[in-house]
Amino acid sequence: MDLFIINVIDGLIYGLLLFMLSSGLTLIFSMMGVLNLSHAAFYMLGAYLAYQISVYTGFWVGLIVAPILVTILGAAVERYGLRRVHQYGHVPELIFTFGLFFVIEELVQYIWGRSMVNYNSPESLDFIAFNLAGGSIPAYKVFMLLVSVGIFLALYYVLARTRVGMIIQAALSYPKTVEALGHNVPLVFMGVFGVGTGLAGLAGVIAGPSLTTFPGMAFLLGSIVFVCVVVGGLGSLFGAFVASLLIGWLQTFAASYNIGAADILIAFGYEYPKDVYYHPWRDLWTLTLPQIGPILPYILLILVLVFRPNGLFGKRET
Amino acid sequence: MANEALKLDNVKKNFAGTEIIRGLNLSVAKNERHAVIGPNGAGKSTAYNLITGRYQVSSGKVFLNGEDITNLEPYEVKRKGLSRSFQITNIFPKMSVFENVRCSLLWAMGYKYSFWKLVGNQTALNEDAEKIIEELNLKNRRDTLAGVLSYAEQRALEIGITIAGGSEVILLDEPTAGMSVSETEYIVGLIRKVTEGKTLLVVEHDMGVVFDLADRISVLVYGEIIATGTPTEVKENQAVQEAYLGAAMEEH
Amino acid sequence: MQKSVFTSALPWIFAAAILIVLPFIFTGGGSITIMNQIGITIVLAMSYNMLLGQGGMLSFGHAVYMGIGGFVAVHVMNIVENEYLWLPLPFLPLVGGLVGLGFATIVGSFSTRKAGTVFAMISLGIGELIAACCIIITVFFGGEEGISGDRTMAPPTFGIEFISQKEVYFLIAFWVLLSIFVMYLFTQTPVGKMANAVRDNPERAEFVGYSQRWVRYVSFCGAGFFAGVAGALFAINYEILTEQNLNTVMSFQVLLATYIGGVGFFLGPVFGAILFTILQTVIGLQTDLWALYTGIVFVLMVMFLPTGLTGLFAMHLIPLQLGRLGMLIKPYAKIFVPGLAFVVGAIALIELINHVRHHAEEQFMTLFWIEFDTTSFLPWALFLIMVAVGFYVSRAFAKEVAEAWGEATFVEGERR
Repeated sequence: MDLFIINVIDGLIYGLLLFMLSSGLTLIFSMMGVLNLSHAAFYMLGAYLAYQISVYTGFWVGLIVAPILVTILGAAVERYGLRRVHQYGHVPELIFTFGLFFVIEELVQYIWGRSMVNYNSPESLDFIAFNLAGGSIPAYKVFMLLVSVGIFLALYYVLARTRVGMIIQAALSYPKTVEALGHNVPLVFMGVFGVGTGLAGLAGVIAGPSLTTFPGMAFLLGSIVFVCVVVGGLGSLFGAFVASLLIGWLQTFAASYNIGAADILIAFGYEYPKDVYYHPWRDLWTLTLPQIGPILPYILLILVLVFRPNGLFGKRET
Repeated sequence: MANEALKLDNVKKNFAGTEIIRGLNLSVAKNERHAVIGPNGAGKSTAYNLITGRYQVSSGKVFLNGEDITNLEPYEVKRKGLSRSFQITNIFPKMSVFENVRCSLLWAMGYKYSFWKLVGNQTALNEDAEKIIEELNLKNRRDTLAGVLSYAEQRALEIGITIAGGSEVILLDEPTAGMSVSETEYIVGLIRKVTEGKTLLVVEHDMGVVFDLADRISVLVYGEIIATGTPTEVKENQAVQEAYLGAAMEEH
Repeated sequence: MQKSVFTSALPWIFAAAILIVLPFIFTGGGSITIMNQIGITIVLAMSYNMLLGQGGMLSFGHAVYMGIGGFVAVHVMNIVENEYLWLPLPFLPLVGGLVGLGFATIVGSFSTRKAGTVFAMISLGIGELIAACCIIITVFFGGEEGISGDRTMAPPTFGIEFISQKEVYFLIAFWVLLSIFVMYLFTQTPVGKMANAVRDNPERAEFVGYSQRWVRYVSFCGAGFFAGVAGALFAINYEILTEQNLNTVMSFQVLLATYIGGVGFFLGPVFGAILFTILQTVIGLQTDLWALYTGIVFVLMVMFLPTGLTGLFAMHLIPLQLGRLGMLIKPYAKIFVPGLAFVVGAIALIELINHVRHHAEEQFMTLFWIEFDTTSFLPWALFLIMVAVGFYVSRAFAKEVAEAWGEATFVEGERR
């Protein structure tokens, strides 16, 4: 039971982190019809930039400056790259962002090397926030939770209560009409792309210290984020939210409950083979839940797309 | 009625709760040239999309030669012998005129999804495609990419794609929209020629074309047919005068 | 209209002759190895183009079909070695192809419903899933070491045991030519033509009687087959397959090779595969930044040359037909010099920074066959000037090129 509560909290933190990426991704997709495959690369860029800044000035400056830098970079990518490719159609746009992912990944390795960098949480948060029936929750996790919830509320406020939010919301459903109403859609595009990637950057800044900052971090999280937006339904913010939490919990729980296939097989009356490492079904016998944890999201993705091609909450045809 | 090529029985369509088509009844006899007219936003294109399976109907039935085709997929409707054109040119832009026409013939000539026959060796197929191109007056454009044709040529190709394969019932959606007088003449002549002996339903704004081409006319206003009859009958119909022609006269 | 059988067979005979002669022209130690790699990449890139170029389906997981075909091929090789099965080596690609086809029939049954983003995401998901399974299902994928076999243990074919690279070359060349030929025939079939139509305008394709889903499905299965053939050829050539042969990075490389060649042209991927492999093997030996360079070149190509290299050549057919190709020579020559200076300067600068950051203990480095001192001021200044001046001057000349191009391709009254 204690483990359960800790997992709920860990999964929530992870899920909200995923949502920080998937929300930006969804906004960009809804506005521009482009699934930004380089999204997770901006997340990684955020972590690395924050690391570099923190080396000179400490964690807190990095927390503010790095996401701003990523926002500017994202806006520049939209202005000078994506806008150009846009005229060729959606497929080249997808290819462009896919290529960009690899370029950013290579660039990060070029600048910061191929091994992980020493990016840590600030000392002021290096204490245990509270104990929970045997387990402990570090203050940094509470901080992550607060930042994610704060971003979530801020996003909600902007979208639901401000004029800019109204334009964006209108553009989600009727992009052509919004353009016809005389709004500077290219500028809105650039802004949304910048803010979306900036959110990913912020996620990287706060995730870097807890999930380690290394060149593979974008790849590791990136494909999971795509699963979130597709499972939730492309273009649906609420869907992205639900799917992010769902996958956050799914992965956290799968990683911490060491249920093996052997237990189940034995429960069904099969006999554990004597020499399991030479057994033809050895992979099945040695299979454990933490092992298949990483592939659960993809199985979920395929199941959802087979049975609900538009995702759980998606309406828009793609 | 066995003589009916196309019949709509109380067809309704809602978009997000708003009824766009409010009980459409229409019957087109075999070999008839039937025109649908009505002001913008009356639901003409929506009606076409409902007949051809592009949209799902909310209620009601669509019959083709007495057979229920309600909510079939577009390709199934086409296979049953109903073919349509589009108001906004809808061709295969990166393929040549010849390939456009040939692709439109493939299913009707029974090739289905075959990957063991070479189209180059199918004499009847290629001859038919050439014949259609000749009818369309596009012979000198045979190998040009469809995307770079002039507007009138694209509209002609649009009709070519629609009639290829010899569907019995042809639905044309504003075939002369945006054309000059001489281009309109060319297209009307073309329609006359290629729909010989077929059932034609045409949506058109150009009243000259409508009265010239149609045997019967239906007037669609706000998702309902308010009158059907011969051109003369429709012209003299009081409700039509008020609802449509009156308004159109004021515009001009 | 009908061309004689001989005229249409001529290009194929010509291609076969070239393939036979090649290993006797390029006899150097590594060249046959590179040619084998090129052959495999050609089949893979051509099969990818069945999806992207002809069918309009963007896949981010095409390497999976090659990988699975290859893994099964290695297993079959081992079964043949243990004499449970009699199968001469030249037939192994057929096995790989059937495996790729089988896997594609399963995945395609749900992934080809839509093109565009959903299709791309499913392909990415399947790719990640299978790559992850490599570590879990060790019986089949062999974990991180992969699985290996021995091609020479198959029953000899006319006395050939495929011990030397050259013998393998002829096997690969045969399958390359056969695959291209069959893929070409596919483009000439009703469903191959409809694949183009569905790519261009899926909605209209439905209104001429074809279900876009089934048209895509047929192409998808065909592409899976030839990817599997490529996988088996890979298995024969390298005798080992690992997770790296089917992960997303590999899929990206397939996309890259195909795109560089030109997706809009049937033979585009052939040129892409040749160029990509040569770059990969030659530049890969010179610098560890090769992935960065290819990535940058790729992104620039998507931005500025979406039709690929073949498209670049095809573009020049218009001024050639008009007899105005000569008008372009001067502006091209003018932009070449500053352009080259910019590229060389940029590469030098990137390499220099890389050297200082990661190999600072060595004071001297060699670049473009010249050794120099990385701590001195001169190389830095030189490279910076090359980049700045090269960029500025070539931008000025680019306008001239654009003007000359407009003039050379101008035709009165034609819509472009």
